[in-house]
Amino acid sequence: MATISFDLVSPENLIFNDDVGTIIVPGKDGDLGVLPGHSQVMSSLRPGRVMVYSEDKNLVKSFFVSGGFAEINPEKCIVLAESVVELNSLDKSSIEKEIEELGSNESKESEEQLSIAKAKLEAITVSFYDKI
Amino acid sequence: MPSLKDIKTQINSVGSTRKITSAMKMVAASKLRRSQEKAEAARPYSSRLEEMLASLASSAASGEGIIKLLTGTGNDQNYIIVPVSADRGLCGGFNSSINRETFKLVKSLEGDGKNVQIMPLGKKSRDFFNRVMKDQIIESFVDLNISNTGYDSALQVSNKLQELYFEEKFDKCILVFNKFKSAISQEVTKQQLIPLDVSNPSKEENADDSSAKAIYEYEPDEETILKDLLPKNVSIQIFKVLLESDAGEHGARMAAMDNATRNAGEMIDSLTLKYNRTRQAFITKELIEIISGAESV
Repeated sequence: MATISFDLVSPENLIFNDDVGTIIVPGKDGDLGVLPGHSQVMSSLRPGRVMVYSEDKNLVKSFFVSGGFAEINPEKCIVLAESVVELNSLDKSSIEKEIEELGSNESKESEEQLSIAKAKLEAITVSFYDKI
Repeated sequence: MPSLKDIKTQINSVGSTRKITSAMKMVAASKLRRSQEKAEAARPYSSRLEEMLASLASSAASGEGIIKLLTGTGNDQNYIIVPVSADRGLCGGFNSSINRETFKLVKSLEGDGKNVQIMPLGKKSRDFFNRVMKDQIIESFVDLNISNTGYDSALQVSNKLQELYFEEKFDKCILVFNKFKSAISQEVTKQQLIPLDVSNPSKEENADDSSAKAIYEYEPDEETILKDLLPKNVSIQIFKVLLESDAGEHGARMAAMDNATRNAGEMIDSLTLKYNRTRQAFITKELIEIISGAESV
């Protein structure tokens, strides 16, 4: 099976750059599974998980992104994300605490942060496949 | 004639100054390397974003809402100038050239009958404009400390600018900053930030393969993506400029401190020469006194 080159870029640095088998990207209207030969798409992203699978369909890396953009063409997939964290570095209790704090605050800014924090919580609680 | 002790003290004080300047030079050199790496690391993101924007820019015909960041307000009366300086001095002409250029720009725009406001970034330009045109400062940001706080501080600045823009406080925003050319040279550059300058050369390159770009599918649709993209682009441009200016500052300081160290060395040499001459003169004088004393006996 062919591979597709995948770049995950944040404003501060290039986080991931390798040839992989499949990437699952959290598009604004729903998750996109990107395989080699995908049609050309430009999508904005919602806060959610970016899952990277190797050619033999094992999970390589999983990230949480707080939004951004994806540019996909048959050979390459580029994700521009504003804040990127590895999924296994997230801690459930601290996120719950954050949600609680933000919930009591009612500014527009914290509303946005709240939705990101909720998406974070969802990202670590909802199950995913280690192998597809 | 100064006494031997005076010269000795002077030599010592110049010597300790030299120690400080050479230490500062080395610190600046290592910081320069770090901030250069940072600027390098930020490049993929901003170039990708620019490419995306270039392929989308054509679809933005109407000038409503966020799209105004691209198309402009249709007016050309109110300007906001953002000089980007350092927080510290002792870096040669780095800050003063920014202040001078900004001052010139403000005066020439005012000469054309425009309203100009200033939003200095960095202590040195804030202090300068506080002295010369205090009432025109609309907002200032200091201690941004870009190499440690990273993208967040750029976001602060960009949010404030966009807030002012959508309150229609200004029509055009121009950044004045030191472009990092090499470790020893910086170039004062003016960049129009809002509305987005489409004559940017990096975008013209992309025009060649616009046929390939045209067949992209957009999800959800072009306008939604553009609405997300434009504010991000403002932040990322500011981030890029701040990083560049930070690298430039360290470069400038390194060059300035290198010069200072060399000058201190020359000064020590000439003072040592003077010290030795004076000492010799004293010895000769004493000898003459002894000899003439012995003769008179």
